[in-house]
Amino acid sequence: MRAIIGQEFRLNLKSLLIWALTVGGLGFICIMMYTSMEGDVMEMADSFSQMGAFSDAFGMSTLSIATIGGFFATEVGTVHGLGSVMFAAFFASSMLSKEEDGHTGEFLFSLPVSRGKVITAKGITILVNLILFTVICAVLYALGFVCLGEEVPISELTRFLGSMLLMNVEVAAIAYLISATSSKNRMGLALGMSLVVYVYDIMGRVIPDMKDYLFIGPFSYANASEIFAGMDAPKYSIPVAIVVIVAVTVATYIAYIKKDLAS
Amino acid sequence: MENVISIRNLTKTYGKKRGVSDVSFEVHEGEIFGFIGPNGAGKSTTIRSMLGFLNFNSGSINILGMDSVKDHERILRDVGYMPSEALFYPTMKVSEVIKYAADVRKVDCREEAAKLCERLQVDTSKKIKELSLGNRKKVSIVCAMQHRPKLFVFDEPTSGLDPLMQNTFFELIKEYVEQGTTCMLSTHVLPEVRRYCDRAAIMREGHLIKTDTVENLIATSAKNVKVTADGETKEYMYNGDINDLIRELGGQHVENLTIEEPSLEDMFMHFYEGQEETK
Repeated sequence: MRAIIGQEFRLNLKSLLIWALTVGGLGFICIMMYTSMEGDVMEMADSFSQMGAFSDAFGMSTLSIATIGGFFATEVGTVHGLGSVMFAAFFASSMLSKEEDGHTGEFLFSLPVSRGKVITAKGITILVNLILFTVICAVLYALGFVCLGEEVPISELTRFLGSMLLMNVEVAAIAYLISATSSKNRMGLALGMSLVVYVYDIMGRVIPDMKDYLFIGPFSYANASEIFAGMDAPKYSIPVAIVVIVAVTVATYIAYIKKDLAS
Repeated sequence: MENVISIRNLTKTYGKKRGVSDVSFEVHEGEIFGFIGPNGAGKSTTIRSMLGFLNFNSGSINILGMDSVKDHERILRDVGYMPSEALFYPTMKVSEVIKYAADVRKVDCREEAAKLCERLQVDTSKKIKELSLGNRKKVSIVCAMQHRPKLFVFDEPTSGLDPLMQNTFFELIKEYVEQGTTCMLSTHVLPEVRRYCDRAAIMREGHLIKTDTVENLIATSAKNVKVTADGETKEYMYNGDINDLIRELGGQHVENLTIEEPSLEDMFMHFYEGQEETK
């Protein structure tokens, strides 16, 4: 199993670095832009916070974007949220199906390793890559704060990135199930699913009737503005996420062990 | 003689589509067993069921004295499989693929792998994506043989290999078989079966229609008859009394007549066409 984890890590290292440096780099640039935009942002902050549902949706009614914390939460929060969820979906959606799609399954599964162990090894690879992605982004964001001469908001940043990591794991688990049930690459489907959960969260914050159901979506507990404002995650949102992760992981094992592998 | 492979009443369907039906045969220890049949006959379905790529509907498969479902992982430790499509991770180097296969097996195969690479002239520094089908096949042979398994399962192994490499490949098989390895060889190439296999099974439309020694498959009372008479040439398998054949031909103006022992190809066609051409 260790050999498979090492192999997957080597095969995906370039992709991890490209995604992490792109998303983290964008976040770093956003932070660096704060100083140059500080004056303009001050003027815009009031009007942005009074745009009703739109302000709610993007967290501008909760935090002032005139502060570095508020600016980070609204700007980098969106960049990291979208970037990381797309990376999670992209990465997990092809992890199992690529063996059948690339016709390498017959090589891999003729080696003395059970399908269960392959699922575990590749699942560990996904988790480790998501953690590394988060760590690389965290370093770049912290560097941004340091470059601006601001104090790094360690506790808020840790809670924000931890919540984002949980959200990434939830989306990756669903994408991994998609990968297990298909013999073709379903990256489009997985990326679409990641955007749907993002849009669901935006809609939940804009449409009053949907607010009660916001906790179902993975973005509900990873909202940067709420985290930086010190607010708690919606009730049940994290237990729901854990139930979803466990349920789809069990379904992944069952589906992949039972399926006939395409040649 | 012990059975290395024992398949009993194997049935596998793909929804409503036929896979294989009620297939039973054995492969004995130390033999080279040919598995013959045209495309779609069910050879790959049988092999893929044996190796656990497919979940079969009914029947049982016993390999090296173990149940193919319960002891799947243990069985694969002692099996060297070469798929018909030798495909690997394209960005990896040949040396990395060979090492990866050994690492997953948790066996140090460096010495054997080096020997095989030398015999097969494998350039281990190249990337997989730079290799032709023939060279990928050679990498596949190394991966299947480097851990000195008790059983080889080869699916169309020689397609893409040049004649020289085909010879080396069969020399290697014979050397391993002399040391106790058993070999199951699925192929379309009948001369390979005639030349190298001890026994063979013939598959047709998902059914196993004959299993016997290659010698017995060829040795039959049926003769291959080629006759040109009254300006018309006919070729068929004749299974009756030769005097009746002469009497039958007596009424015609025979220009040319050849009666000979059938080849394995003739026997294969004879079985495959359901004896329609046999008189």
